[in-house]
Amino acid sequence: MTSTSLLAPSGSRLLRSGFLLPAALVVIVAVLVVAPLARILLTTLTPEGMAAWKAVLASRLSANLWWWPLLDTMVLGFAVAGGCLLIGGFLAWLVVLTDVPGRRILGLMGSLPYMIPSFAAALAWGTLFRNSRLGGSAGFFETNGLAIPDWLAWGLVPTAIVLVAHYYSLAYTIIAAALGSVGADLVEAGQMAGAKRPRIFFGIVLPVVTPALVAAASLTFAGAVANFAAPALLGLPVRMQTLSTRLFGMIETGQNERGFVLALLLIVVSALFLFLSDRLVSGRRAFITVTGKGGRTKRFPLGAWRWPLFALAVLIGLLTTVLPVLVLAASSLAPQSGALFSNWTLHFWIGEGGGEIAQGQAGIFRNPVLIDALWTTIRLGLVVAFTTMVLGLALAYTIVQRKGTLLATVLSQLAFLPLLVPSIAFAAAYIALYGAPIGPLPSLYGTFALLVIAASAHNLPFAVQSGRSVLGQISADIEESARLTGASLVRRLFAIVFPLAIRGLFAGAILVFVKMVRDLSLVVLLFTATSPVLSMVAYRYAVEGFMQFANAITLVILVVCLAASFLAHSLQNRVQKWKES
Amino acid sequence: MLKRLSMTVLAACLALPAGALAEDLDGLTPEQLLPIAKKEGSVTVFSLSSRIAKIEKAFEGAYPGVDLIGLDMSSTKQIARVEAEQQAGVHAVDVLYIADTPVVFSKLVKENRVVNYVPPRIAGELEDRYKTPLLTQRLSTKVLMYNEKAFPDGAPITNLWQLTEPEWQGRVLMVDPSQRGELLDLLTEISLHSDEMAAAYKALYGKDIVVEDGLEGAGDQFIKALFENDLILLPNSDVLNKSIGDVDAKNPPVGFGTYSDRRDNEKEGWALQVANDVAPANGILFPAVLTIADKAPHPAAARLLIDFMFGDDSPTGGPGFEPFNVPGDYAVRKSIADAADSVKLADLKAWTIDLAKTAAARGRVADLIITLQ
Repeated sequence: MTSTSLLAPSGSRLLRSGFLLPAALVVIVAVLVVAPLARILLTTLTPEGMAAWKAVLASRLSANLWWWPLLDTMVLGFAVAGGCLLIGGFLAWLVVLTDVPGRRILGLMGSLPYMIPSFAAALAWGTLFRNSRLGGSAGFFETNGLAIPDWLAWGLVPTAIVLVAHYYSLAYTIIAAALGSVGADLVEAGQMAGAKRPRIFFGIVLPVVTPALVAAASLTFAGAVANFAAPALLGLPVRMQTLSTRLFGMIETGQNERGFVLALLLIVVSALFLFLSDRLVSGRRAFITVTGKGGRTKRFPLGAWRWPLFALAVLIGLLTTVLPVLVLAASSLAPQSGALFSNWTLHFWIGEGGGEIAQGQAGIFRNPVLIDALWTTIRLGLVVAFTTMVLGLALAYTIVQRKGTLLATVLSQLAFLPLLVPSIAFAAAYIALYGAPIGPLPSLYGTFALLVIAASAHNLPFAVQSGRSVLGQISADIEESARLTGASLVRRLFAIVFPLAIRGLFAGAILVFVKMVRDLSLVVLLFTATSPVLSMVAYRYAVEGFMQFANAITLVILVVCLAASFLAHSLQNRVQKWKES
Repeated sequence: MLKRLSMTVLAACLALPAGALAEDLDGLTPEQLLPIAKKEGSVTVFSLSSRIAKIEKAFEGAYPGVDLIGLDMSSTKQIARVEAEQQAGVHAVDVLYIADTPVVFSKLVKENRVVNYVPPRIAGELEDRYKTPLLTQRLSTKVLMYNEKAFPDGAPITNLWQLTEPEWQGRVLMVDPSQRGELLDLLTEISLHSDEMAAAYKALYGKDIVVEDGLEGAGDQFIKALFENDLILLPNSDVLNKSIGDVDAKNPPVGFGTYSDRRDNEKEGWALQVANDVAPANGILFPAVLTIADKAPHPAAARLLIDFMFGDDSPTGGPGFEPFNVPGDYAVRKSIADAADSVKLADLKAWTIDLAKTAAARGRVADLIITLQ
């Protein structure tokens, strides 16, 4: 796009929009992302750190510490990204562009799995597929006489399946937001020109949403390689280690330097893939579809395929949403964690304390801390989602406007990295960097502000990726018209870019909100207030061995996430009135 | 009386300027600490156990005017946070209630990030090894557990070396020692007791053990043989307990777990029991310690809290200790009785870990495990 160089800007304008925003962003990204990363890098340049580099890369340990986990991780990353694109893309197409029945329900089910913690999906897998390798009670299939081989019960295959079941909704959310902006005029133009449906799909729809596909692929890839719960639960029994389990183990057993080295190497490898995918997108022409006119969405009639495809989508929803939620719900009702479907009681939700169950502890809704924690959690989620989106929008805007330039490449790379930095290292770097007063700035230690800043930086990738995928489609014409009439950058952003991109932005905001509400590590290290967040309450119950309480709270978290997602949907419909049909 | 009062007042006045006088606080009784602690107003503790909430109630009831702020956090996170805070010059936490002591020893004790404090009230009652380099409050276990319903005649294992035999191939479980510090400590302890492992080998097979090149002794040889016998690694103790303990299991595995988890047997439908009569040992006892952060902002309240968490002189330890008094964990105070239906501390055939030695050998054992996976 050449919009910025279209006019020779006057000096003040140059300062205002052409220079100031990118410069400010470079500073912000340097402070938020580069500084903590540099600090982590520095800790690996001490003598112990150098020994760790050597141990990881060139010693008798390297094979099991780095190369095999790297292979497992990359296989997982690509398998999961591929699977997520297929399933998430299919559902997004079905819900947004076709006349399939029950679109609302399908859309809801498609966005749910990411709100359910991935360990729930792994547990659900175990409930069905667990075999006799570990002893104890077998899963559903073995109990019913169907022998499950080790490769299906443990290791790479089930881990990949469970992660696809968890992350496809991330892909769905992003792709659906982008498909929503494929205007009817484009499709109708294709139809008038006599193009057949596959041709329209592969010739028009697919190219238009390519940026969204790349965004979805990179986020799901990063999610899969950074996930700990699924590979730990399903991989360790057959000694499969991924970089994330290795990394967690190194930090957990006090070998931080090795953990940091693994994290840095993982970042380098992932950044390489990201760079290649970036090349892939920048190499091609951009398609501008959001023009401010003809925004109505055109739906394809599915004809005879309506119900079979509906059934397929429902099946996916049942397996990835309903089943894990059922397992969670059952385990919040069953007194024995080994027998999920017997002796159900509501004690863990509303029971009064003092009885035999749960060592006399009352149900979660009688826990005075819970309501407090609920509000703190929601406040934290909203504030972080907001700050992250503002920052992400500004970054995405600059990256898209300056596509192909060095600045854009560097910014987009840097904005992606925080997702791969382990929370504990990220948080520790933040305390060490900004815990002390810097010049005239006061110490941020223990403040809500530090938590918000760190969390915004950590979640930046969601905002930038989802923002980019939508901003890339917005026509420069409208903005230029506004610019010619003298509208300022801020005005243009709020009056034009924001309403047009709101779908993508809210999609990103929801992802950030969900991540924030569920994530524990960052909060636990940076938060000093005694009023905890929900995930901390759940953690407390879990370490005491009361999984029922912990699972009940996980369900509460799920409801909070759902409510937030509903709110975002109704808001975006209000802003984009022209979409209603 | 008057003399004590005036001393207290004097101490209170002196304590105000700073923690430079912290060492003088070490000799004070709880009664003498209280007025200074009240001036300080609060005490912040990082705790590995959420049962700190119960301590908060009891402590604030016993010493009104001193507000306890308890944050539960895993040992790893406590260490990361204290390191980062002190690097930034922040001194916000007073007391750490923490395990993972070999790491605490190398990262906090050696770097002078914490100071050891032994309350004079109970100092005489504790063995020396529980007083330095860190003050142990209680002991937890990682010991060999079996299913008492499936093996009604007692533990199927009487010698650790049996675990390396074909009969137990793929039937020994443990939480991955490259993921969890306590299990790494267990294997480190086995490695450190090579002579006893060699003797146990001879007792079982009647011949001397041959140690391969590259391994340091019979302990390392055992670790290697255990991994090669398809030792199954798990992500957490929940899965472990379910697999070993299930009351309906036909031929259940054995594994290294936590003795005190046996208290959940009835609730969860488990039949977990400790295999105690095992040569040369059935596992380890490891400490949960109480220590004061360097330059703690509330030094007197911190000492008062540590004193409080050792409980009173009753057999249960009273409100200060009771929340931690679970069967299968052990108090280090001799006045606090072990639970009636569990093995007495003196009879438990487990090694108590030696912080300095374990800390020194841990890295080598961690490397060995990585190559075996």
